[in-house]
Parts: sequence; C-alpha cells; structure tokens
Amino acid sequence: MRPRVIQQESERQAPASAPVPGSARARTGRLTPLKPGALWRFPGASSVVSTELWVGLHLCESNSEGGDTFLPERPLAQGQGAARHEQVVQGLERLAMRAQQFTPRVSLVPPDGLVLEVKGSLHLFNGVEGLSHALANECASMGLKSMVALAPTPLAALVAARAGKPFVVMDMARLVGQLTPLSLIALRWPQETLERLARMGVRTIGQVLRLPRAGFARRFGTEQLAILDRLTGRNPDLRDRFHARERFRRRRELPYELENHDAILAALAPLFADLGKFLEARQSGVMELECLLRNRHASPTSCVLRLATPMADVCRLTELLGERLNVLSLPEPVRICELRSSSLVARVLSSSHIWQPGEHGGGSGVQAMELIERLRARLGPEAVHGLRVLPGHRPENAWGVTEPIEVRRGAGGRGSASGGRTRAAHEVAAQPPWPAFRRPMWLLPAPKLLSERDRLPRRRGPLRLLGEPERIETGWWDGGEIARDYYTAVDLHGVRLWVFRERNPPHRWYLHGVFG
Amino acid sequence: MSTTTPELARLLEHPAIWRGRTAARTEVLPTGFAALDECLPGKGWPRTGLIEILVARFGSGELYLLLPVLAALTCRPAARWCVWVAPPAEQKARLARPADKSRDFYPLTPFAPALAAHGVALERMLVVRDPSLWSFEQALGSGASDVAMAWARSPRTREIRRLQLAAERGKTLGVLFRPQRAAREPSPAVLRIALESRPAGVCVTLLKSRGGARGSIEVSWTPGWSRVGS
Repeated sequence: MRPRVIQQESERQAPASAPVPGSARARTGRLTPLKPGALWRFPGASSVVSTELWVGLHLCESNSEGGDTFLPERPLAQGQGAARHEQVVQGLERLAMRAQQFTPRVSLVPPDGLVLEVKGSLHLFNGVEGLSHALANECASMGLKSMVALAPTPLAALVAARAGKPFVVMDMARLVGQLTPLSLIALRWPQETLERLARMGVRTIGQVLRLPRAGFARRFGTEQLAILDRLTGRNPDLRDRFHARERFRRRRELPYELENHDAILAALAPLFADLGKFLEARQSGVMELECLLRNRHASPTSCVLRLATPMADVCRLTELLGERLNVLSLPEPVRICELRSSSLVARVLSSSHIWQPGEHGGGSGVQAMELIERLRARLGPEAVHGLRVLPGHRPENAWGVTEPIEVRRGAGGRGSASGGRTRAAHEVAAQPPWPAFRRPMWLLPAPKLLSERDRLPRRRGPLRLLGEPERIETGWWDGGEIARDYYTAVDLHGVRLWVFRERNPPHRWYLHGVFG
Repeated sequence: MSTTTPELARLLEHPAIWRGRTAARTEVLPTGFAALDECLPGKGWPRTGLIEILVARFGSGELYLLLPVLAALTCRPAARWCVWVAPPAEQKARLARPADKSRDFYPLTPFAPALAAHGVALERMLVVRDPSLWSFEQALGSGASDVAMAWARSPRTREIRRLQLAAERGKTLGVLFRPQRAAREPSPAVLRIALESRPAGVCVTLLKSRGGARGSIEVSWTPGWSRVGS
C-alpha cells in the first residue's frame, strides 16, 4: 500500500525526484509547472546552465606531521568544548581568508567545510582543473587534506565532497542524477532520522528524493525537507558570506629558539605571507604593525612599525620591519613570534605621474612617504617630523612638531594651482605682527643662561646689543608666565644671537636663539 | 670660445657637456640676490647636485642666504620635501665639533614662525634628527625632496662623492654646511662657497664652481635687516 502512494506522490509533486535525467526527459510532456527552482524540468532545459557554481571543500583529516592542525580527531559532539570549537572556527577562517583570493563569496561550514561561489572567477584560474588544483595547494600548504566538488548549489557541492565523490556538475539538469547514488550520511542529518530512514530501506539521496514531499515532511519534519530543496536547487540556499577579521593577528611558535635578527626575520616570513593574503583579500593596507617576540623568561619584546601611509606591499613591510629589528636588543632567544596589525585602512590607488620626480617640476608622489618610512624604520618614529606654527606669543609655544603629511593633489595642473592659491591666502591671513628679521632661524630648546659683566651679557666676549628691545610678556593664565625683553645681539665673530633679559629680578641674561 | 658651425654649437648646448671654462648650461634656481646671481655659473644655484657652504661660525648668515630659494622651492604647486638633516647642536656654538655623547647638548630647532614669516611653506619641511650621513643620502637620492640640508661633522671625500651622486640621482639640491677649515680639502661638490658675516649681510667667496669662476662678493640682506642692526 505505502509504496504505491509514495510512487504517486512523487510523480505529482516532487519534481526533484527524477532519478535519472533520461527518465525526466521522458516524462516532461505531462506535468511541468514552471517554477524558478524547477527550471531544469522544462522541455529542453537540460542545457540551461545555472547562474551559480559552487565549490564544496571538505577537509578530510589533518596531516600528522607539521603544519597547523585545527581539526578535532572526531566530529564534534554537540556542546563539547566551546574552546575547541572556537579553535576550529579560527582555523577555518584562516583557510577562508586564503580562499578569498579566488572569490569574495566564501562561506564557512563548521567544523570542516567551506563553500565558494566561483562562477565569475573560474576562468581566471584556468577553469575547474586549475582552481581545484590551486585550492588543494592552499590546503596542502596549511597541512590539510581536502576534497573538492563543484555543483550549482552549495549544499550539493559540499555533500559530494563529504561523500568523497569529487564530481563537477556545471548545469542544474545533471545535478540530481549525480547526487542520486550518494549516501545520506553526507547530509549530516541527526542520527535518529538516518536510522528511521534506514529502517525504511532509504539509504541514498536518490531514494530519499523519491519519497513523497508531504509524507516526508510529516514524518521527518519540514526542516529536513527544506534541506533537500536547497540541495537540489529548488529553493535558494542563502549563506552568510565570510568576512575576514578587521585586524590581522597571527603567532608562530618557532621550532627552536632564535637569537639572530636575520633568522627571526626569516621565521616571520610565513606570517608576512599570511598578512599579504589578508590585505589583498580586503584591498586594504596597514598603518601600524606590531611584532611581538616572546622569550622564555623575560617579558615579550615589542617592535612597532608605524607607517606614514597605508601599505600592503609585504616585501617592503618585511624590509622596514627588518630595519626596526636590527636596532632592537633582545634579552633572550626568541621562542614565539607574533604579528599584529592595527585596524585596516582602505587602499586608494592613485595614478602615477608622467614625469619622474623633480623632472619638469613634477611632484614626488609615492616617494614622499617612502622616504619618511625608510627613515623612521631606522631612526624611530620620533626622529622624523614636520614643523608647524602655533598661535601664541611665547617663542617656546609658537611652534610645534607635526606629523609630516603628503598634500594630496588633484590630478593635473588645475588642482595643484588651486591648492597653491588657498595656501597663499592662508599665509597672508597668518602674517605675524613682527618683522621677519626680528625672529631667529634657530631656537634653543630652553633658554641658556649667559654670563654678564657690568650688567651686559657675554658669550666668549662681550655681546653688542642692536636696536630696540622687544618685550614679550604673556602667559600668566597657564603658569608659564614670561616677562622678557628680547634683543638682537652680535658677538665678536659677527654671529647674531637672540638674547633676552628677565624683567623681574634678578634680571639675568639668557640666550634663546641664533639667527642663521 | 667661439664656435663657427651652428650644428656644433647646438651639440655643445647639451647639459651633460661641460667644457673647461665655459659654464655648462644647467638648470639653475635664482638665489634671490641679484649680485650673487651674476657671480654664480648659470646665474643661480644649481638645480641638482651638492653644494658646500663653508662657514667660519655657525650662524654666519648661511641660512639667510638660502631663504629665498627655500621659499621659492617649497611654495611651488608640486613641491617636494625640504629636509633638514641633523640640525646642529648648540653646545659650543660652532660647527665641526666632534660628536659629544654627553647630555648637555641642545638640538637646535628650525624656528617655524621665522621660516613662515620669510615665506617658506612649513608643510613641506621635514626635520630628521640623525647625525649620520645615511639619512642625508636617503633624502638626496630618494627623489622625494627638492632640497636637503645637512650639518655634517667631518665627512670624508668619498662620502661627499656618494652624496653628490645621490643628489643627481634624486634630482635634489643638496646643501652641506661645513666648517671653514674644510676649504683645504678637495671636494667633489658642484659648488663650494665660503661665507663670512658682515654687518648687514655676508661676504661670499667662490671656492669652486663649474665654469671656474672665482671671486668674492658682498651680499646684503633686505632693508629690514639693517634697520634692526642700526
């Protein structure tokens, strides 16, 4: 009785149940309600190629020696070890980040699967062969063994990969036929459901697709039916796209302790390779990179590389960090090295100039920031700075150091001309109230006490005071009050100095600047 | 030096050809002082290459001599950096003192308000606090700077040669300030001048130049200077 009903229902309302493409074609004349998910049943629809092509990647088991192993020995039971689960997801994320070089649409299927939509990018990687090979290489480089299958739906691709059947199905029409012989175990349904199906004699996907939809839903739940619909492409399979983390953080335990700077830099190379792929996938650069070197006893040594502009070039990053490491003294041999980035900055690619820097009045472009980075990598970030004027009458407070910034100019002469105009206008507005020659070109960081004779300052001989004094008396509100009479003085050799006399007792003389 | 053939004359105009006593036609920057322009080969500072300025005392007016060219270079629309490598330390107020490792050493700072008042664009300034010549060579050779100035202790001739090559590679005007006694040493720099301070200006003595011009010339500052001095 029951088998007959199943047969009827399957004919009426389970279009996905056609076991073989050939038989489907034989029946197409009778019932073909045209639904989006059932396009493949339409007469002549066997040549319709799906708009999506998914790669299902199943990680079989980690290699025993070397490499990063993040997979558990057995499939995870529910609620077993949250920490372990976290570790597994992190491992998968790492793989997903690498997979993002092939396509932006990558989804995680924990604990051991990954699906990638590659329809658009397949031709960029030498077709199916090339892509499968490249994926297998990526997995192998992480010390993992993988199985890859391609199908128009993500679940079908994944199930095929899990079942160890690496098929390539490009069009919907052939999908169900290929899925039919696969075991139901690959669907990872609850054990109890599988056992009940097995008691009914249903062990393969083909057999379960042949069951009547309504009866199946009643007995096993709509959830399992929805899975079957997604498997065959009857319903769309919406998956969360994997987004790489905003910051890069990776550590590596060294096989043996290292002391040599060059060897440490070489040990960092895999981390830099990861960083490069990370940045490439996100089309971003880093502004700050920290390298932590952990020792056995001493506290970790940190080496921070600050960049003037977002950078994604791993070779140059390695070179710059190498400069920083060279000046670092390590308390102990290094056991673990770790690379961390600050938050990422989107890279803006600018077109290069037609002229070489300095040629025909051409600007400097990229080199401007490269110079600063090279200097900073060797000398430290504080050793290179720009200058700016601060509002204030006290000479000490009238200037400040600033981060040197590359003025971004618009393409072509028009933008630069307008930039020049605005800057000129700004300068006119900020014209100081004193004549240009009343201020020295060099300022001492702190006034230096001068010896005096007959109440006149001396500095390797008497100083001759020129002109009238300029009184600067201000700053009473913030505790840095000054009351000084500034003079221009000339020493015996004709060098002009900027000296001042305190207005308050004891009226000492100080040197504060040198006219260039 | 007269050439009769026009083809030959045109050929000899090539900037890479330097003929004995005639000044090669190189790109120059006006110094801002008419008298000095007349005296220098090509009527100005060379656009690229290393020049040496020898001063008896630090602060003899060497910076005022360069201010007009700094202002002109940094205010251009496509200006590159103006790098100050190792601004000198005010310890004995004189150049060419062996590097003192003691703590009583004041790094001088280019005074930003004064630079701005002379028309120098401050956002193009880059101060590098490193006394080694490595930074200077990087600044010269990177192509990222229009002008780089350094206060070196006692560079060797070989090092100056490297700096000169770097300046040509980066199309940069390099200025090296050295003490007066270095005048006796040979130098591969494009131009060498010695400065002595005068009440209202400086006396510039050409020690070496492409084209072989020699002589001394008095350069006086703008009237504002003498007003302060009067």
